[in-house]
Amino acid sequence: MSREAEFGRLYEAQRGAVHAYLFGRTADRQLAADLMQEVFLRVWRHLDAVIGMSSDRQRAWIFTVARNLSVDAHRQVLAEVGVAQALVREPARLPRPASTAVLAAERVAIVGEAIRRLPEQQRVTLSMATVGGMTSPEIAAALGIPAGTVRYRLSLARRALADALASYDDPKEER
Amino acid sequence: MSLDDDLASWAADVRLRDAEAAAIFERIVSTPVPEAAPRLDPTWWRGFNAGFTARMIASTRPARRVAA
Repeated sequence: MSREAEFGRLYEAQRGAVHAYLFGRTADRQLAADLMQEVFLRVWRHLDAVIGMSSDRQRAWIFTVARNLSVDAHRQVLAEVGVAQALVREPARLPRPASTAVLAAERVAIVGEAIRRLPEQQRVTLSMATVGGMTSPEIAAALGIPAGTVRYRLSLARRALADALASYDDPKEER
Repeated sequence: MSLDDDLASWAADVRLRDAEAAAIFERIVSTPVPEAAPRLDPTWWRGFNAGFTARMIASTRPARRVAA
C-alpha cells in the first residue's frame, strides 16, 4: 500500500472523531478544522512510526497530539482576547418565532448556545457522541476514561440542554 | 421537536463536510515529508557498548592489582 493510501485509511477512520473532539475542546468549528489539519499533518510526517503501532496506540497517539494542540490553541486565544472575553457569554435573547421552520432553527440555536456553555468535559463527550457519532465505549477508549463516566457526562449534558430548551419554551420557568 | 432532533440538526451543522475533509487531505498529502535524519545502525551501538565495557574492565584490573 502506498504512503498516501496508508495515510488516507487512517485519516478516514479517525477524522470524524478528531474533529468532534477538537470542536468539543474549542467550541469553534473552524478552529477545530484547522487544528485537525495540524494533527493529521503530524501523522503524515510521522507516518512510518504511526503505521507500525497497534490501532489502540495509533488512536492514543493521535488524541494526545490533538489534546496538546488544543491546549496550545486555548492558551493562544486567552493571550489574544484576554481572559474576560474568553469566558462564556450570556446567550442572546431571541425574538419569539413566527413559523415552524423558524421555531426549529431557533431551538437548534438555543441548543448550540447551551452546548457552548457546557463544562468542557461534557461538551467534548457530547460532541464526540453527536458530531462524531461515537459510542460510549469508543469515546471512553479515545479519552482514556471509563465508559460509565462517559455515560454520566452525557446524561448531565442532556439535562442541561433540556433545561435550556424548557427555559426557552417557557421563559417564566427559571431552572 | 425532541432534544434528539435538535441535537441531530446541530450536529449536522457542526460536522466537517466531506468536501472540507477532502480539501484538508489534499493539503496534507501535498506537503513534502522531511527526510529522516541519518541514524547509526543499531549493531553499531551494540559493538560500541561491548568495546566500551571491555576497555573499562581492562583498564581497572591493573589498579586492583596495585591496590592488592
